[in-house]
Parts: sequence; C-alpha cells; structure tokens
Amino acid sequence: MTLRFSRLTFGFASIVAGLCAFRPALAQEAAAESAEYFEKHIRPVLVARCYSCHSGAKTKGGLALDTRAGWQKGGESGPAIVPGKPNESLLISAIQYESLEMPPKEKGGKLSDSEIAALTRWVKSGAFDPRVATERLGGMTAAEALSWWAFQPVPRLQGDASSAEIDTFIDAELAAHSLAPNPPADKRTLIRRATYDLTGLPPSPDEVDSFIADESPGAFAKVVDRLLDSPQYGVQWGRRWLDVVRYADTAGENTDRPLPHAWRYRNWVFDSFNRDLRYDEFVRLQLAGDVVAAKNDPKACADGIVATGYLAIARRFGHDIDKDMYLTYEDVIDNFGKTFLGLTTACARCHDHKYDPITARDYYSLYGVFDSSRFSFPGCEPKGRPRDLAPLLPASEVEALMKPWRERVSKLEAEKKRRSATVTPRPRLKEMAAAARRLLGEAKIGEGESAALTDLAGEPLASIPIRKGEVLQLSVSPNGNHGADTTLVELIVKENRAGGSRWSVAELIPEFLKANPQTINDEGVWCYLEVTDGPEFLLTRRESNGGDGRIRSWSIGGEPSVFVNDSDRKVNVWTELEPRSFFVHPGPNRPVAISWVCPRDGEFNISGRVADAHPAKLDGVSYRLELIASAEYGAALTRTGRTLSAPLPDPGPEPRIPVAYAVVEAEPRDARVQERGDHEKLGEVVPRRWLSVFGGDRVPARAGSGRKELAEWVIRNPLASRVMVNRIWQWHFGQGLVRTPNDFGSRGERPTYPALLDWLAARFQRSGFSVKAMHRLIMNSSAYRRSSVRTESQIAIDPENRLLARFSRRRLTAEEIRDGLLLAAGALDLTPGEAHPFPDPSTWTFSQHAPFNAVYNDTKRSAYQMVQRQRRHPFLALFDGADPNASTPLRQTTTVPTQALYFLNDPFFHAQAGGLAASLLTSHDDDARIARVYRTLFQRYPTSVERERAARFLRDYPAPQADALGALCRVLLAGNEFLYID
Amino acid sequence: MNLFVNGNRRSFLRSAVAGSIVFPAIVRQALADDSDPLAPREPHFPAKAKRVIFLYMTGGVSHVDTFDPKPALARDHGKEIKADHPEIKDRPGYERIFLKRPQWEFARHGECGTEVSSLFPHVARCVDDIALIRSMHTSHSNHYNATLGIHTGSFAFARPSIGSWVSYGLGTMNRNLPSFVVIAPKQTYAGTQVYANDFLPGAHQGTLVAPGPNPVVDIKPRVPANLQRLELEALRRQDEAHFASRDFDPMLAARIRSFETAFGMQMAVPEAFDLGSESDATLRSYGLERGRTDGFGWQCLAARRLVERGVRFVELIDSGSSDNWDAHGDMLTHIPLAKNVDRPIAALLQDLKRRGLLDDTLVVWTTEFGRTPFNNTADAKGREHHPWAFSSWLAGAGVKPGIVHGATDEHGLRADEKPVHVHDFHATILHLMGFDHERLTYRHGGRDYRLTDVAGRVVKEVLA
Repeated sequence: MTLRFSRLTFGFASIVAGLCAFRPALAQEAAAESAEYFEKHIRPVLVARCYSCHSGAKTKGGLALDTRAGWQKGGESGPAIVPGKPNESLLISAIQYESLEMPPKEKGGKLSDSEIAALTRWVKSGAFDPRVATERLGGMTAAEALSWWAFQPVPRLQGDASSAEIDTFIDAELAAHSLAPNPPADKRTLIRRATYDLTGLPPSPDEVDSFIADESPGAFAKVVDRLLDSPQYGVQWGRRWLDVVRYADTAGENTDRPLPHAWRYRNWVFDSFNRDLRYDEFVRLQLAGDVVAAKNDPKACADGIVATGYLAIARRFGHDIDKDMYLTYEDVIDNFGKTFLGLTTACARCHDHKYDPITARDYYSLYGVFDSSRFSFPGCEPKGRPRDLAPLLPASEVEALMKPWRERVSKLEAEKKRRSATVTPRPRLKEMAAAARRLLGEAKIGEGESAALTDLAGEPLASIPIRKGEVLQLSVSPNGNHGADTTLVELIVKENRAGGSRWSVAELIPEFLKANPQTINDEGVWCYLEVTDGPEFLLTRRESNGGDGRIRSWSIGGEPSVFVNDSDRKVNVWTELEPRSFFVHPGPNRPVAISWVCPRDGEFNISGRVADAHPAKLDGVSYRLELIASAEYGAALTRTGRTLSAPLPDPGPEPRIPVAYAVVEAEPRDARVQERGDHEKLGEVVPRRWLSVFGGDRVPARAGSGRKELAEWVIRNPLASRVMVNRIWQWHFGQGLVRTPNDFGSRGERPTYPALLDWLAARFQRSGFSVKAMHRLIMNSSAYRRSSVRTESQIAIDPENRLLARFSRRRLTAEEIRDGLLLAAGALDLTPGEAHPFPDPSTWTFSQHAPFNAVYNDTKRSAYQMVQRQRRHPFLALFDGADPNASTPLRQTTTVPTQALYFLNDPFFHAQAGGLAASLLTSHDDDARIARVYRTLFQRYPTSVERERAARFLRDYPAPQADALGALCRVLLAGNEFLYID
Repeated sequence: MNLFVNGNRRSFLRSAVAGSIVFPAIVRQALADDSDPLAPREPHFPAKAKRVIFLYMTGGVSHVDTFDPKPALARDHGKEIKADHPEIKDRPGYERIFLKRPQWEFARHGECGTEVSSLFPHVARCVDDIALIRSMHTSHSNHYNATLGIHTGSFAFARPSIGSWVSYGLGTMNRNLPSFVVIAPKQTYAGTQVYANDFLPGAHQGTLVAPGPNPVVDIKPRVPANLQRLELEALRRQDEAHFASRDFDPMLAARIRSFETAFGMQMAVPEAFDLGSESDATLRSYGLERGRTDGFGWQCLAARRLVERGVRFVELIDSGSSDNWDAHGDMLTHIPLAKNVDRPIAALLQDLKRRGLLDDTLVVWTTEFGRTPFNNTADAKGREHHPWAFSSWLAGAGVKPGIVHGATDEHGLRADEKPVHVHDFHATILHLMGFDHERLTYRHGGRDYRLTDVAGRVVKEVLA
C-alpha cells in the first residue's frame, strides 16, 4: 500500500514538477515575482474565478488562463497580459470592468478589490507564472488531473470490515434527504433475489424452505456462502465479466470466422470467479499471463496463456486482418482502458482526449506495448488457416508427444523407401511386358453397351495355351479419354482338362479387400492395376464409398479404381450397380487392368464380358485382352505387388496439442504516432510507457513487450480497485455508485456515495482483492436486503433510486430467461460447456460472400452459447444480450412486443412449458400441481384466489389435461412474476 | 415518471384497482410518460417526410451502365489510364488498366430529360419524380466495410443503422407493427449489423422479414385463437394482480401492454403482408402473380403496405452476399438483377404517388459503391469495386423532383462535381426527416454519437 501510494505521488510529481517546486519562503510576505506569491494569491483566484471558462477544453474568446502560454498567446483580442504593464494588459482592464467585464455577472461578478490588487501587482512585477510545465494532458490541465476525484489514492483501512458500515454511509444520506429506507424484503423474495444474483438461477423449493425455517441471525449469510460455493456462481459472474470484455466466439472480420479455442478463455473466467482468484492476479493474467505465470507449474503456465485470451478475442477487421491490425489495437486499447481503468483511452487515437488527461502519445505508447505482442491469428479470406495459436503444454511436453510420432513417421518413410528399392521398378515391368505382349482380343463398346470377350475375329477364346507365370491382362479405357466411366467386368478363365480349375472375378467379390494382389482358388494370382505407363498397383483400400459399405474399392486416390458391389441388392449411386458385381472405373487417360497370373502350364478357355455400366451421354469404353507371355514378368509383378501391399507401419494420427487463442511476446518495438489516426501517416516514435498522467513510467529496456509492467501499473492504480468495486456494486444493485461504469473520467458521472466507493475500494484491497469478500460485505448489508416496493416519497425525492432507500426491481437477463425456462422444464444441463461444434478448420471456405453463420442449440447454460459478432444470436438480441462487438458494462432492458411474441408463439418456449407440464403430471391432482408449479416458478405457494383461478383455468381450457397444464405453465412462465426480480 | 408524485392520484389508482374492470386503463395511465422508446416524437424542425423506404442494391451497381451516361468512356474504350485505385494497388495482373465501355445504351426520359440506361426501362419513366445524385462516393472498397458504411455511417465498427436512428428520432406511428422493418431474402454483407440498433435502445432494431409465407418470427399463433384468448386473459389477470402489489411500476405495465401489442401484431403483421386484397391491376404493375410471397415485387408492395400502416422505416434488400450486383466476372449479370427490381421499383413509386403517400414518404435508392470504368484488359467482361463514384437517388417527400445533382468526370472515374459522400447522403436523408444530423445524437460510453460521425453536409440542392 505504501509503495502504491508513493508511486502514485511520484507520478503526479513528475508532471507537475514545476508547480510543486516552491522556493522556500524567506520573507514574511512573498515577493510578487515569486512562485509562492503566485501559488498563494494568483493561482487560487484563477482556478476559482477564471478556469470555468478559460481552461481545459473551454477557452471562451479563445483565451486560456491555465498556462503561461495561454495568456501570452491571448484570445481573440490579443495577448491578455503584458508583463510589467498592468495598464496595457487586457486581463487587468477586464477584471476592473473597464474594457470587458470579467468575470461576468452570471459567473459570480467582479473580483474583490484585494484580488484585483493582487493580480495587478503580479502583472506589474512581471507576471511570474510557473505553469510552463503544466502542458495540457489531453482534456485536463495538470492541476485538474492532479485533483481529479477518481485518481486520488484509495484510503488505507485497518481492522475487519462490517456490512453495517455500508449502511452507515447510506442511512446518513437517506436521512439527510428525508427518505425512509424500506424494510427488509421477505425471505422468499430475498432468497430469490440472492440466488438469481449470484447464480443466474432461481432457488429450488427446498432451498427456500430451509432458509425460511432457519431463524438464526446468520441465516442469510449462510445462504450467501452456499451460493458462493456453487459452481454456477462463476458462470453468472463470469458472464458479467464477459459482457465487459465483449467476449465472442467469432473473429468479426469480413468472414466472421469461428474461434474454436476462445472457449478456454471463457471457461477460465468462470473458473477464476469460482476460485475467487485475487482480482489483481485476474488482471495481471489477462494482460500478461503468458509472461508472469510460474514457468515451473505447467497448469499455471497453461492458465496464464489462456487468460491472455482477453487480448486475443479483440475484434479483427477487414479482408486481410494483418493489414487492419491498427483497428484491432484500437479495440484492444479501448477495451483495456474501459475495463480496467474506467477511462476512454481510445478517444485519443486521432488527437489528444478532449475531456480527459490522455494524449495521443499515451495512446501510441500503449499501442507499442500491444504491437510488441503476437496475437493468435484466426484466419481470414485471403489467409485461410489460423496461425500463432499458443500451445498449452511446455515445449518439453509438446516434444515428448511429438517425438514418438515423428519417429513413427520416419520409420514409415524409411520402410517405404526400402520397399521401393526392393521391388521391380515400373519402367522395368513395362519393358518386360512390352517384350512379351500378345493381343488376344479387343473391342470398342458403345455408350451403355456390352461386349463379350472374344478373339480378334470375334470368335470365342476357347483354347489359349498359357504357361506358368505368364499373365493374362484385361484392360479397360474410356473412349475419347473421357474417363470416369463405370464398367462392369466378367472374366472367367477355365483350365481345359478334366478336373481343371476355374477362376472368375466374381469369386473375388466376397473377400475383395483382403489383398492386392490376391491369390484365391488354386494359386491363381489376381492383380488390380493402372496401366497407363507400365503396371501400377491400385493400393488405396476403401471399405465404403462415401459411407456406403456395400461398395468396396481399390484405387489410386479417387480414381482409377476397381470396385465391387458386395451386396445382394442393386445399389443406386451415380449409376445403378447390379448385386454382387465387379467393376472397373478408369480415370481420364488412365486405363485400369485386371491381371491374372497363371499358376501352371496348360490350355485355357477365356470368357466373360465388359459392359459400360454408366450411360452418361459420353462415348463408352474399350477393352484389350492381352497375354504377357513372360514367366519372369508374372513373378516380378506378383513379388512387386506383394511387397508394396504388405501392411505398412501405422504412425497413428498426429498428436493433438491443446492450444489457446492467446497472446504471447513478440519482438518489442515502439510505435509511431499515427497522425490524426491515419495509419498511413506516421509521425514520431513514442516509447512504450504508462499513461503520462500517472507518471509515464517507461517499459525498461529488455523487459519485453511491456504487458507485464502495464499490468502492474494498472493494479497499483487506484482506478483498478474503484472501477471493479463499482462493477460489483452495480451487478448487485442494478446501478453503480458511479453510473458510468466504463467512464470514471470527466464525462462520466460522479459517484453518488464517494466515501462509500472509497471505503469499498479500500476494503477490496485489504481483503486481498477478494471478489467473494465483496459479495459477502455487500449482500449482508441492510441496503441489499431491502424490499423493492417504491414509496411515494421515494418516487418524489429519488425516482431513480440513486440513494438506495429500496432495492431496484429488475428484469431477468436473456441468459437468465433461457436458463430459467430450461430449468423449469427439467431440461437444463448444468455441466460446463466446452468447445463449440464448429466445422473443422481444414474445411473452412468462408468468404465475405459466404461468411460463417450458425446457431447451435443445446441445453447447457446460456452463457455457453456460441456468440457471433456479425450475426447476433437471435435470442440474445431479442432480450438485450451483451454487444459482442463493444464493451457492455450494463445490460439495457427494453420491453418490445416482439419479446411478447416469443412468450406467445416461440417453439422453444412452448417446448419448455410442455416439459414443465409433463413434470407436474406426476402430482396426484390439480391442486397439488398448482401448488407445485407456483413453488417452482415463484418460490411461494399460490394464494387461495390464485389456486381457484388456476383450477378454473384448467377446468375451462377445452383441451386434454396435459395440454391444459401446458397452457397454464405458459401463462405462468410468461407472467411478470417469473420475469422480474424484486 | 411523475405519475405518483401526487398522493391523491395514487389513492385513486388504488381504489380503481379494486374494481378491476378498469384495469387496462390504469395500465395505460401508468405508461403515460415519456419512457416509451417508440412513442411518436417530433423532429427538430417540421418536415414533409414522415417515413422512409430505403432500397438497397447489394454488391455494387455499376454507375456507368445504369444512371451515369459516359459517352467519352465509350469513345475512349481500350485507352490505357493510370489510377491510384485501392482495388488495383499491388494486385497482380493489374499493373496496367484500360477504359472499358458501358454495355448499355442511355436515353433521355421524362420532361426533365434525365438519361438512364436500358437496364432500367421502368424506373426511367419515373425520372420526373427523382433527384438523381451522380456524384456519390464512399470511404472503402470492400463490400463489408462499404455496406456497413452506407447503413451506419461507420466503415469498420458496428454502429446503429440509419433505420434505427430514424426510429429513435421519430418513434412509431403504429404500435402493432415494428417501427423499422427490413425485408431481405438473404443476409447481405456485414450480416445483421446493417440493421442493428447497436447501442440505441433495442426497440429500434430492424425487424427482419424474410419473404415467404411466414415473414416474421413467432408471429403465427401456436394455439387456436379462442385458446390463446383464454391464456392471455389469465395472463392479464395474473400480471395485473402482480402490478397492483408492485407499486404500479411502469416497467411492469409496459410489459403487460407489450402483450396487447403482440396480440395485435399477430393479426396486423400477417394482414400487412397479405396481398390478397390488392387488385389484379396493382399486382400486375408490380409484376407479381397472385399468391406469390417472394420476389422484389412482393417486397415493394409489402413495403407500400407497411408505410401505409405507419411503419417508420422500411428497408428492402434485393439479394444477399453472393449472386448479386458484384459483377467481377461479367457485366451481363446486371441484366437479371436489374430486371428483378426495375418494374417493382417503378410500380412502387407510381403506387405511392397515386395514393398520395409519396407526399410524406421518402424513397431512397442506393448501393454500397460503383464499379470501375476500367479493367485490366479492355475486353474484360466484368468491372471491379469502385468507391470513388456511384449513383444513388431520392424521391418523394421534400425532394426536388426531376433533377440531377453532381457529376463524375468524363470517364465516370471520380465524383468531380459537387461530390456527395455517404455521410452527406445520410445528413440529407436525416434533414428530409426533420433532423439536424449534428443534433440527433446518443450518449454512449462517454461520447455523443451520431449517424454522420464527425462529418456530413446536407445537400441543399436536392431539397424541394
């Protein structure tokens, strides 16, 4: 704390050095030309009486009086002061009401005589003005910045905190406004309020009962503790954080690509709230988790990287993301400033901030920090594949996973090499075949026609002598080289002797995929080949064709192929395939052959036919039947085929290394100012450093990007605590003590309870930045537990409930509505969501003409729904969900008829009401059902009037019982009591 | 929010609630304040235009082939030129560029004699009602950015759509219909952002209507009318009791009323989109077969019916992010796209005029950018994206009819004479609606935002 304090003071000191460096007072009355005189007599008058019109952004008549340069330059009427010459100084004549009349009447009128005398004396003595060092910092002068309420140190507090202290602050103010605080809410209202608040879900009837039964003074505190221990707490409060950091599951550039790994950051946020991760650490990790996480703890290391997803999820822009990174950095700087500091830093992109003490140089000093980091790249239209995703395992583990796999791959490669060295090379086989080739028959087969296997004269091949090892080859090629023609083949070879063997391709069908080459039936060897330029085995083995297991094939790639219909039925694919039939499918210019290696010398009868099986208005196929009369060839072919088709060692799939969409360090580089925000007009280089208003400390040399330092500067800044406790307060009460939670600058609102805000910030720090401690402190106050009924005097005196005499009623958020509906139907899955079912990145073809677009429906909590940037999720858009493109510090609540249409007609709503009704049917009668549904939805029993009305509704509703119950459930779920929290 | 300031009034409400018969009136009374985002509001100054039909042609319509005749471009066909153009910078194959002649003939039309090409024969007959701007230009040459720009005034970041701004400024005239309706067969570039309210209250978001038998989501009752009435009756009773025990919170009353409105919408919306009552002659004029529920003719006729019923802003998008005017490959693809919209647009203008609606309805026709008068070969069939110049037009309320404003250079390359940037175009539309574009602002994140960012100049010459 001391350190924090002194650094802050130091920060201010550096910018206001000039004005603080008083010379020691040597005389009783300081000389008029002294700094002390100026500080004592001049500055206070200027600040109190002139600054409101002549300082900062307001320079009436063009005159600024908050710097020496200001009056030297003067306004529209020329220099305001001529040092040494009061009579010639416009300022003096104006305050004497001789020329202009300043300050004017509406600003408090003429200065006092002593003030006029002091100013006159000062001008006469030379108008010593130390305010040279007080360059303006954007929209404020140094003096204004120095005294800006939100920049003041957070007070230090000792001892333990008590919720009663909160009430002390509030009750005093209420009394001062003659406002009576509301009495405490009844217990069922309170537990409903607290349960929704902390978990986003309603309490169960049992939880309500046990709270009501617990009459101990600490009953509510116990409920709060129980809720804080629920894993659903992190989902609710984490989602609130995701609103602020504009979380989305797509990149937002022109194709709105999915971010398949962003969910890890989302879940890390939820988990951090559940673990009550210290807020300072929460900030540190999001800005610099990759740098600061303990390197010796792999889990912490991975978490640190995942946490930088905060930066990585920044919106990407344009067609080629890399070209528009300056816009992404603007988004980063904008969100960084708003989220952690409550400052609109991005306003300083084109020029110094108009209202707050942030300069364009400040903006580009932060720019340099982020530009010295490497952001995961989601891919974009011209650069399709993601890159720079951060591995979540230490390099050693990545290596440990990858090394065995790489070794297996190299084994595989070595084996392939070995094989190709041992087999007969294709050109050699071609030569051997060419030397021994004898054409037995050939035919050109027209479109859709069929031809029998005959000799060249068209006679049957009744007796062909073939020796052992010689090869019969039937090749099929498409006519006109059209290719891709499915061709039916029947080929039967019979040995012409008593008891001779018979070989047929039909016999190959049942065990078609067993091998290529395949030996069946008495040593005949069959080979499936592509024969464009010598024989090449078809070695790609497919058990199905596009999922159709009846079709099995051997091929090279997609085609050419040999395939079979291995079923008893016709298969209708691109053409109709007869049952149990054998086909070849040549490719363009790539004939396919079936070869049969003869097992022994003899005479053989060759028969069969070849038929174009795919009449596609092309021009049919041709076959050639050849005998390759070389035993050496048959042996070489068989050996080659067996070698190549022997199973190869399988290296298995490449190990999947878990990765995060994250940010890591890159080469540090300072940024250049982009003149007027034009990224093509580069100005001076600005060093990477902290905001000048807070001291402007530089990133030390060799320190890396500076994100780590930036995180520390943020954490030590009083804004970090003030802004966060204000958010916590706001999420409990519906509005912050500062109602502009992202803007603690001069355009923001002042706190309603400044002292309470400071006290909370101090308590937050003292608790070790424990968010859960803040919940306990706040929720156990009387202010939190008040009823929400507005009284007349409250409406009159404090209609917006800024002073908190009551609790503000609120509508459920989009997520709470959907979760509540699913829960009522018994359909809500409370287990954490993980990755979305995005298509695999290898299949992405997204373009600006066909961007990614999907809505995934499941029954997980709504915080896990996939949120797109370019296309709003229809449900979330309807019920005021967070903006996925810009920080949403506070949800709006709009009431529009299209929402009512949802409660009337939406199928999802009807389904949940139906689910609820079905669950009620287990109760034995309508009375019990009515009681149960009121308890489930409203945490109370129905009144007798309600009981009676509901029963009458069920009786009068002209539909079967289940439908009538469904209708009743719709009515109750559509009602305001379900939708609003008191 | 001053309903309960007076204690007597509150007591009155209490006693009135007791006799629950007057309850709906009380709900209405509770709402008699200005918290309703869609309550009709007066603009900054009186204006003729009360509503807008915004016709948006997706993909970039070639100006030199439609509304901007360039005889010199025909004359200089094939001539090499130099241009520091964003679409050809560092693009392989585009080291040299050549002028490419328009592919359609232009002719003078109407009394004003404005020239329009043969791609738009029907719209050509309406030129006497149109103020044509031939000097439009924009800030980006990507579809995404330029589409976002013409809709929101922002070329990178999501901002409220022009329709949302108009709804925010004027509220609605018919609570049974949304104030801002977008009729689009498909999503265009930049997705839902083109009609999103962004930071403006959600009531101002564009309601998407997809042409077809069920145009609005959840509009079709899922239970028979008599049962729905029973349910709504029960809901009302239940909510009114809740309201009475919750200090007559207007927030609750607003939701009670939203069901009344939704109930009405279930009839009003299908009625608005049911063209059954239109005469054969009307349907014919829009080129529409009876019973059809899609096509641009349907969109145009539905738009007329919507503005007739008080919808504030209707946007019609002719196609989606593909198969649109983006004629890189072949300019001839402009033919079916023009044919799709030409007759319906002309019919819409004439129909509005005949019904007197053109007196207080502003019709806007635009695209996101033009197309290059050049390509990398003179006989290239297509044209590239061209942010430097394009044509848009205005017609109807407050618009000076039968004029041409601004001009491009002799080849249609640059908006030379009286250039009108997208921001100026927006400023002019807002002016026609009665708004000073610099004063129609919304405070968000510490800044006052407006449709025209920090620019915009009203084009006075097109005002009647």
